[in-house]
Amino acid sequence: MDNGTGMTKLGFAGNDSPSWVFPTAIATRAPGSSGKASNAPKPTFLGGGTSSGSGNNLIGGSGTFGTTRAPALSSIKRDMGDLDFYIGDEALEAAKGPGYSLHYPVRHGQIDNWDQMERFWETSIFKYLKCEPEDHYFLLTEPPLNPPENRENTAEIMFESFNCAGLYIAVQAVLALAASWTSAKVTDRTLTGTVIDSGDGVTHVIPVAEGYVIGSAIKNIPLAGRDITSFIQTMLRERGEPDSSLKTAEEIKQKFCYVCPDIVKEFAKYDNNPEMFAKYIIDTVSGRKLTIDVGYERFLAPEIFFNPEIASSDFLTPLPEIVDSVIQASPIDVRRNLYRNIVLSGGSTMFKDFGRRLQRDLKGIVHRRVSANERLSGAKSSGVQVQVISHKRQKNAVWFGGSLLAQTSEFRSYCHTKQDYEEYGPNIVRNFSLFNVP
Amino acid sequence: MPAYHSTFLVDGANSREVGDFAVLPLKTKFKGPSLPCDSEYDIIDEILDLFRANTFFKNFQIKGPADRTLIYGILFVSQCLYKLNIRMSKSESVRVLLNLASEDFAIPGDIGFPLNSLYQAPKDRNESIFFRQYLTQFRQELAMRLIERLYGKDELKPNKFWMAFSRKKFMNKSL
Repeated sequence: MDNGTGMTKLGFAGNDSPSWVFPTAIATRAPGSSGKASNAPKPTFLGGGTSSGSGNNLIGGSGTFGTTRAPALSSIKRDMGDLDFYIGDEALEAAKGPGYSLHYPVRHGQIDNWDQMERFWETSIFKYLKCEPEDHYFLLTEPPLNPPENRENTAEIMFESFNCAGLYIAVQAVLALAASWTSAKVTDRTLTGTVIDSGDGVTHVIPVAEGYVIGSAIKNIPLAGRDITSFIQTMLRERGEPDSSLKTAEEIKQKFCYVCPDIVKEFAKYDNNPEMFAKYIIDTVSGRKLTIDVGYERFLAPEIFFNPEIASSDFLTPLPEIVDSVIQASPIDVRRNLYRNIVLSGGSTMFKDFGRRLQRDLKGIVHRRVSANERLSGAKSSGVQVQVISHKRQKNAVWFGGSLLAQTSEFRSYCHTKQDYEEYGPNIVRNFSLFNVP
Repeated sequence: MPAYHSTFLVDGANSREVGDFAVLPLKTKFKGPSLPCDSEYDIIDEILDLFRANTFFKNFQIKGPADRTLIYGILFVSQCLYKLNIRMSKSESVRVLLNLASEDFAIPGDIGFPLNSLYQAPKDRNESIFFRQYLTQFRQELAMRLIERLYGKDELKPNKFWMAFSRKKFMNKSL
C-alpha cells in the first residue's frame, strides 16, 4: 500500500502495476451528525486489542461493537455514523451530494488524521484488496524524515486493529530506487542514488546511500504537478479558450506536454510548422463538441521545472541546480555514485525528454565546476559521470519498487511480525533492517 | 537558465550608442538615421524571436548596450499587442500601430520614461533629437514586422497564440 498525498496505490507483491489507484480521500458524514473526534492523536476508531472479528463485523455491517465498548468519551459518541463513509473515487462522488464532507487524511506525505486514515486502510484492505490481514504481510510506505512516532502509530493500527501478520514500513525514495532496476541503463543494482520524486503537491530531491536516506541533504521544491496544471490553465484563459477547467488542463498536461531543449528554438519550430499546435476535443454534457487549441503550453508548462521564474515569483532555482546542490551537500564519498544514478519517480516526471533535459543541464553545471577546479588546481580530473535514469514504471515507481522487494523470499525476514509486536511493543517499528541488495 | 540575451552584445568597431543604448543598424524602408543593416538578421528579428520566451521572465540582467535595445523592443511589442485585439483586421492594426509608433513618446531621460533607472539620458540636445528619430524609425519597423508575424497569410484575424501575450509584462514593466 502506498498512500501518497494525492493518490493511493494498492496491489499485491509481484504484480507490475498496482491493482487500484484512487485518490487518498475520505468522505464522512458532515460534522455535527456524527460528532467524531477528529485529529485524535491515537487511533480510537476500532480501539486497541480487539480481535480481527471487529473487522469482519464492519464489513458485514452489523455495527454492534459501538455499544459493547468501554465508555470512553470519544467512543460513546460513535454510532452508526461511523460506518457511513466512502473512500477514493466514491468519496469524491459522495462529497458532491449533501451530508458528506471530504477529507484528505494525508498531508504533505504524512498522515494527518489517524482516525480517518484507519478507516481508509480498513476499507482498502477489506473492500479493495479483499484479503484477511491475519494471513498477509503488509508493506507500507512513508516519506523521508517521517517521525518515528508516526511509524509507531501506524504499527499500532496495523497490528492491533487489523491484526496483520507482519509489517514493513519502507521509505518511498528507497523503493523508487529499487524500481529503477528495471531500466536497461542500470547495470548494478545498488540502493545508492538521487531520487527526484515529483507528485502532485511537492517535488523532493532525496539522496540515498546504501539504503539510508541522507536526511540533512534533502531539498524540497514547491513546484509539482498542480503548479503545471494551473500554469496551463492560466495560458488557456489568457488565450480565451472555450474551456479552461482544471480537468481540461490536467488532460492537456498528460496528453500533450513535453520538455524541449530550448524555448526560443521551440517557438520558431511552432511558427514554421503549424501542425505542432494540437487540438483537444472535449464532449460536453449537452453533447456539443468543444475544440480547444493547444499551443505553447505544450513545452512551456514542464519548463517551469527548469525555469521556475516563468510561473512563480518567489521560487527561482531551477531543478538541475537543486539536484546539484543536494548532491554537493551529501558526504563526499557517495557523491560520484549519486551523480551516476539519478532516478525519476512520480507522475510529474513523466514528460517526454524530462530525463534528457535534466541530464544535459546537470552535466553542464558539473562540467563547468570540474573545469574550473582543474584550472585552479592544475590537476586533471577523471571526470564525473552524470546519468539520469528514466524508466517505464516511473508513474507508480514507489509502488512498483515495493512490489519488487516484497516478492523476494527474504522480505518476510525483514518484517516485524505480530509476535514481535506483542513481545516488544510498538517501538520495535522504529527500526527496520535494510533490504540486502540481491 | 535565465532569460535570453541579445546576440548583438559584442559588436566591436561599428557600435554606436546613445547614453548606454545600442543604436544598431536596421533593415528598414522607414526614414531615419539608422545605418543600413548588411546581415540578414537584425535586432528587430531578434526582438520578435525572443519576445515570447522573455516575457515570462521577471528578472533580467543587462549585459550590455544591446540588451537595453532588446528590453525596449520587447516592451514596445507588449504595448503594441495591448493596443490590438483579436477582432482587428490587418489594415486596421497597421493604422493603429503606425499611429502608436510615431506619436509622442518618452525617450530615456525624459520624465515619464519607466526605465530611467536602467538607462542613461542622452548627453545633449543634438543627441536627444537623433535618439528620438532613431527610436521612431525603430518603432515603426518593429510594429510592421510584428504585424507580419501576427497575421501571416490570414488578413482578417491576428494569430491568437501571439495575442495571448498581450497581458504579459516583461520585467514587470510596461511602456
